[in-house]
Parts: sequence; C-alpha cells; structure tokens
Amino acid sequence: MSRAPGPLARLAGRLRTLRELFAYFARRERFFFLPLLAVLLLAALLLALTGGLGYVAPFVYAIF
Amino acid sequence: MAAVLGVSALYHDAAAALVVDGRVAAAMQEERFSRQKNDPGLPLRAARACLARAGLGPGDLDAVVFYENPYAKLGRVLRWQLRSFPRSFRQFPKALGAQLGSKLWALDRLAEGLGVERARVTFGEHHRSHAASAFFTSPFDDAAVLTVDGVGEEATTAIWRGRGRSLEPLARLDFPHSIGLFYGALTAYLGFEVNEGEYKVMGLAAFGEPSFGAEFEKILRVGGDGSFELEPSYFAYDEDSEVGFSPALERLLGPRRPYGRPWALEGDAGGGRDAGDRRYADVAASLQAATERALLALAREARRRTGSDALCLAGGVALNAVANARLLREAGFARLFVHPAAGDAGGALGAAVEVALGLGDPRPAPLASASLGLEPDLGETRALALELGLEPRRADDPSALAAELVARGRVVAFCAGRFEWGPRALGQRSLLALPEDPAVRERLNRVVKRREPFRPFAPAALEGEARALFEGAPNDMTPFMTAVCRVRDEARPRLGAVTHVDGTARVQTVTEASSPELFGVLGALARAGAPPVVLNTSLNGPGEPICASGPDALAFFLAHPVDDLLVGDLHFARGRA
Repeated sequence: MSRAPGPLARLAGRLRTLRELFAYFARRERFFFLPLLAVLLLAALLLALTGGLGYVAPFVYAIF
Repeated sequence: MAAVLGVSALYHDAAAALVVDGRVAAAMQEERFSRQKNDPGLPLRAARACLARAGLGPGDLDAVVFYENPYAKLGRVLRWQLRSFPRSFRQFPKALGAQLGSKLWALDRLAEGLGVERARVTFGEHHRSHAASAFFTSPFDDAAVLTVDGVGEEATTAIWRGRGRSLEPLARLDFPHSIGLFYGALTAYLGFEVNEGEYKVMGLAAFGEPSFGAEFEKILRVGGDGSFELEPSYFAYDEDSEVGFSPALERLLGPRRPYGRPWALEGDAGGGRDAGDRRYADVAASLQAATERALLALAREARRRTGSDALCLAGGVALNAVANARLLREAGFARLFVHPAAGDAGGALGAAVEVALGLGDPRPAPLASASLGLEPDLGETRALALELGLEPRRADDPSALAAELVARGRVVAFCAGRFEWGPRALGQRSLLALPEDPAVRERLNRVVKRREPFRPFAPAALEGEARALFEGAPNDMTPFMTAVCRVRDEARPRLGAVTHVDGTARVQTVTEASSPELFGVLGALARAGAPPVVLNTSLNGPGEPICASGPDALAFFLAHPVDDLLVGDLHFARGRA
C-alpha cells in the first residue's frame, strides 16, 4: 500500500509539473507564451487562495 | 507484466480503467459512485474501486496515465483566447482560471489522491487514447480507426491505421472545425443540455424531415477528401460557453427552442409543418443528415487511405447509433466496431492499454463484455432493506424469476453482476419489460423515467434470434448497443414498445459471454415459449447516473413506480407479485 505523499513530495511534484509545462512550450518554440504564463500562474495562485471557480459551463471544452 | 491505471477527468465523463498484465481488469465511471451524472471530477473513487476489484493497491501500479496532454491543452486555450481577443474577453478569466487553477495540476492531484509517486504519473494524447480504446479492444488485427469528438488538445477528428500492437496517425483535423462541437451547439439550439441531450436530438431527428439541408450546407462544408469546415460566424465558443452558437445561427434557422418547454410533436395547432416543434424536429433531422454526410466522407477517406475492411470508431460522436448504422451500410467496410464507452470515459482505458503495450504487455483480448464494474453487495443491500422495513424474498433462480415477472407484464428493475462500462445499460443495471405494447413505453417515459415522449426504448434479444427480428443483426456493435438496426416488418407487431417511429431499434444482442445475467432472463423466456426479447432501459431516474450498488437500486425502487426489484437473488415486489 502507498501513503499520501508528504508536503515535500507534493512540492517536488508541482515543480515537476512546472518544469514539464515550460519544457513543452520551449519545445514548441512558443517562448512568447512564457511571460504570460508566469503572470497567469500567479493569478491562478490567487484564484486558488480565493476559492476558485464554482461553475463550469457546457462548452468549456472549446475554451478549456 | 504490468499494472497500469488509466484516468480521464476534468471535463466530463470522468473514469478510471485498470489493465493488468494486458488484461482489462476493471473500468468504471466516477458518476456511478458520486451519483452525479457525467461527474467530471477526479475519479479517485472509481480508481480505488478498480484497484480493489483486482486485489491491488496503489503501490502495485507500474504507471498511472492521464488520457490527454494538459500542457498542449493549455497551449491551445491560450492561443485561441488571444486570437479571439477582444471577443473572448469575458471568457478569459474563466478559461484560464480553470486551466491554471485545476487542470494543469491533474497529474499532481492524481499522484496525491491515489498516493503514488508523481514520477509514475504520466499522460497520453486525447485522440490517441480514443483510438487505442477502440482498436486495441476490437476483434481486428488490422483496421482503419476514426476518432471524432468535440476537441482534445488540438485535434477534433483523426484517422489512424491500427495493426497488431501499433497505431499509426494518418490525418487529423483541428479545432475549431469539430463535428462534436457542431452537434453540441445545435443540441443547445434545440433546447437540450449539451453533453447530455445529444441522444435526445438523435431520437427527435426521426420525427422530422431534413428540410434545412441548404442551411446546413452553409454551416458545415464537407470536402471530397473527408475534410470538413464549420462556418465560424454561426458559432461562438470563444464568447459564449453556455450554448456555443451565435445570433447568426438563429437568423439562419429561426429562433432557438426554449430550454425545458414540453414537447408537442403530434399536434402543431394547425400551423402546418413549419410551426411549433415540427420545425425543430426538421432541424434535428437536418443536423443528423449533415453529421452523417461528414462522417461518411471521413470513413470513406479512412477506407481509401488504409484499404482495410474493418473500421473502429471512438470519440463522443461515435455514440451516434444512427450514424454508425449508416457507416456500416455505406462506407465500404465489411465490419465496424465502436467501443462501448466511446466518449471521454473510454479514453481512460485507451490510455492505459497504450502504456501497458509500451511496457511489453500483450494486447488485450477483444472486448466480449462491458461488465467491468462492481457486483452488488447483497449483504449490504439486505441489511439496508431490513432497516427500511423491506423484507426481501430469496429467488432460487433470479433470471428465471425476472423472466416470469416480465412475461406477466411487470416492469422489473434488474441489478445483477458487474455494472456496465459506458453509457448503456446492457442487462446488469436495467429496467426490463415486455417489448410488445407501446403503452409500456408510454408508462416508462412518462411515469418512471419522466422524459420526453418521443424518446425510444431499446430491445435486447438473444443473439441467435436477433437475425429473424432485426436487419443486419448481430454485428460487432450490437452487443454494446452502439448501432440501430431496422426492425423487420413481420416483427413489428411484437416489438411495438421498442420500434422507433422510423422503424429502427437500437438493439442489443445478448450472449452468455456478453451479459450472462440477461442471457439467463432471455433463455428463460425462450424456454417458457415466449419470444426471447425484452425492452431494456437503464436503471436510473431522470437526471441520475445509472445505479451501481445494491443500495442505489433499492433507492431507485423506493422512488420510482416499477413493479419489482431484483438485486442478485434478493426480490422486492410492489403490490401483488
């Protein structure tokens, strides 16, 4: 059986995701997105702290 | 030899699927556990249930695979939001908030929720996951594969060649040109809920005439090479994520139908064919015709590119049973297989199989049955029933009892064996009734299921008897109810409750391997001298997911006016049984 990862493992996981994300955009030569992404990630942090989105509309997959 | 868990989630139809040593051990949708229809949340309960069913723990998993690439999806959303600026201004915070606040972290949330190392969590590609679900569970060693849905990362449509253990991409179409989004937007126009009402549109289409053909040619242009384009001025995905269509569509087709208004297809208040709901039925028929035209062009192109005699289909659009039947008749393929969970749920299984093959496991055996969920817990069900003051009787032979009750005209809620994978009830969590009398359909539609009066019910028949009743049955799709067949003229008087207005039925052909419990019911009917056919509809109330557990079935029985409930060998009767 596995246990839930501790805070350090969770942080390492999130950093891995960020690394994969930036590597993806770098590979696709979409460097111009990176500053925007950095700002948006900061906004996402604020969103997470304020409770996030409570409602998702049906055509979100077109925009998500 | 490996254990791989596939997961689809965070838009709709969340699911988990477990492949162990190249065998599909379990596959379940989260909605069956959360009791929230089309639950999009991370399917941790479904994942744990898959593991428990296989006797494994998270630590036994070699890999967990998410069905699509969250980074590529974010890239597409960013690009389209910027491209559509300033029209997308209102959507921007919502779109990016959901991406960056939730979806981007899907792999982390899976690792944390399941208690596995983040390094063991990886991701697939949306349409490849669909294609893998269809091809690697099909009976074919060589096939063309067509995946058609709303949108994945970028692709909305793709053609593949499947051979043995490999899938080769041949062609693809990208967002915003999407048959899934097209069908969804028109579903909203017709006053139904998107991602739920598409089946209703398909049923409604049979009541109309495709008289809006010229208008739909303007909306959806199909090329000679199987490609297609949507005219963007009729759609508004970037501006309106509620309905997805623009005012231009209403100028072309007339005003949209208000959501929730009762349907009146029979009488149009003397206004002629253009008045009232008849016009909307004609729009639905035209939409269905346009969709079939595009799918047919795609399938013919897949045939031209691969030269294969077999076609596999997946993606949400592959749940259009009417179109599937036409593809089998007209696209030039001898055989057609549709994965039973063709929507996003199926991507979980496809992604898991892809990774398992990459780890050297054998290709899974052809999918013989969609019974990949959990069995009802009879002890738990009996204990709850006793607490509620219900005294179940033990049935020596539950299938024979169900057959006897159905033959007496009773509506039987039937809960036996592992629940089904995908949106169709295939005899494990079903309502069963006689297929003859249209009054049964009325009772089920209006009183039990409380749904639109035009919606048809499906028959389930023993495979050996199906040919005599339905043209083209059995075929590779009929065990999973993913294609309609024409009801033979001579059989229609016996199948009045399950024959749609256009003379077709979405028949399920039943074998002992595909659905042993329902096979038992149909066999008992045959032994009693009755036709081995029943009306089979899903065991759920309006707006609910299909029942999973015994207590779910008990709750259904208490809340809905059906005559009997069988959970395994526990029999509950209403009135005099």
